[in-house]
Amino acid sequence: MDFGARLESAIRNLKSEMIYYGCDIPEDLLFDFERDLWVRFEDDGTATLGMTDTAQTRGGKLVNIVFKKVGKTLKQGQSVATIESAKWVGPFPMPFSGEVVATNEETFRHDILIANRDPYGAGWLVKVRPTNLEAERGHLMGGADAVEKYKQRIVELNIKCYRCVD
Amino acid sequence: MNPIRILDVGLVSPMRSQAIYHGIAYAMKPETPDTIILVGPTDPYVCIGYHQELEKEVDVEYCREHRLPMYRREVGGGAVYLDKGQVFTQWIFHKDKLPASLEERFALYIKPLVDTYQSLGIAATHRPINDVHVQGKKIGGTGAAQMGEAEVVVGSLMFDFNFDLMARVLKVSSEKMRDKIFQSLNEYMTTMTRQLGKTPDYETVKREYIRQVVEALGRPAEYSDPTPEEIAVTEELEKRFASDEWLYQKGGLRQTGAVKIHADVYLAEAAYKSPGGLIRATARLREGRIDDLTLSGDFTMLPSFAVGALEQILRGVTLDAAPIRAKVTEFYRNLVVQSPGVGVEDWVNAIMAIKGQAPLQ
Repeated sequence: MDFGARLESAIRNLKSEMIYYGCDIPEDLLFDFERDLWVRFEDDGTATLGMTDTAQTRGGKLVNIVFKKVGKTLKQGQSVATIESAKWVGPFPMPFSGEVVATNEETFRHDILIANRDPYGAGWLVKVRPTNLEAERGHLMGGADAVEKYKQRIVELNIKCYRCVD
Repeated sequence: MNPIRILDVGLVSPMRSQAIYHGIAYAMKPETPDTIILVGPTDPYVCIGYHQELEKEVDVEYCREHRLPMYRREVGGGAVYLDKGQVFTQWIFHKDKLPASLEERFALYIKPLVDTYQSLGIAATHRPINDVHVQGKKIGGTGAAQMGEAEVVVGSLMFDFNFDLMARVLKVSSEKMRDKIFQSLNEYMTTMTRQLGKTPDYETVKREYIRQVVEALGRPAEYSDPTPEEIAVTEELEKRFASDEWLYQKGGLRQTGAVKIHADVYLAEAAYKSPGGLIRATARLREGRIDDLTLSGDFTMLPSFAVGALEQILRGVTLDAAPIRAKVTEFYRNLVVQSPGVGVEDWVNAIMAIKGQAPLQ
């Protein structure tokens, strides 16, 4: 990548990401703030879901993750994966009802820390096909609203995000 | 959603393995997280249900000779021999975080136990009201209680079980009877070790259990430690657990001796098997009326004072089904009491079984 392209990429990143106390809050994603997860709607009608930077920080280094099977239909709030770190076991809840169309199980099998390193990229968790989206998407927020909410949470809970490097 | 606190305290003294969930429960404040304790005893012991009479259920002499401590828990159910082969799974929750009905509460508590066994390839199912079964064999029971502000549900992950000593510590009428008990324990109880042919790794199973809890409750769980205050309350309770007064409570009628017993005043007792457990009724009868009454057994009845209240209101009542039924019905109507598998007719039958029994010597 030449310098110009790199600069362009850096500017794009600056525009789309907000870093606050080390926590990355990408403005091009949607967030389920209560369930602390991100959503990206894809062109094929599916949605990719993953842990936020604050969620992976609070959970700590993952030691295990168990996914629901592809093809399974889940209601809003039901757990699509169980995430475990040494001191924490948590459900990863569906932000809206849908069918599981893919999981990132293979990636996690090779690198259990992938969501601790790259929560918004290679560390995505599942892809789902929403089944009742219009009625259940009202709570999703993005852009400045999400940044503002996360800033408050980060201060309230005294979170300092960190990514695993080892 | 607030995480559930997991206290994986490992192996502790026999007394502590019982006292700890009482301590955490009685120390509970509004800000205390819902808590699940995973704990086992370093050494074997015998534990009796809250409503039981020690000497009627346990071979006290044998236990003393073999240095097996005996403790009364504040949870209903029966006498049981316990050791390292079980990991107790003790839930101490706020009232609003569990279903109000005991039947539903047991169902919720039992689901992650069943799911854990199933993940190991053991075909466990919930057998209502509060048992876990594998193809007709019981793999551990459960119990519930209220303590202070807390709602408590307890049970265990049954890695292994000493059938022989379980049969040995129970009070039985004859050695032939003991042999029968041993045979039926062998036939109708099972463990993970028996089902799998080997004992599974404790840490792996405990981890899986917590995963299943998170799935069943839809809440995260966080491993932590008891607070110093919770430990202090636990230690305080251990003093009570160690006292004879606590261990031998119930059966007070036998020890009074203050009342001169003559032809018209005598003690009699009977046992009756209800769907919710065995009920033992001991009454002092005076001219055909219940002068005093003790109800004991391995049933579950909440709140904890309810059995005492029932004993009280039956004093002075004629030993006939109709007036007893009327009093018991009134008791259930006026108090918010839960006794799964034990209803008005069971109490009537248990008490009426006294009629015609020979006076106790």
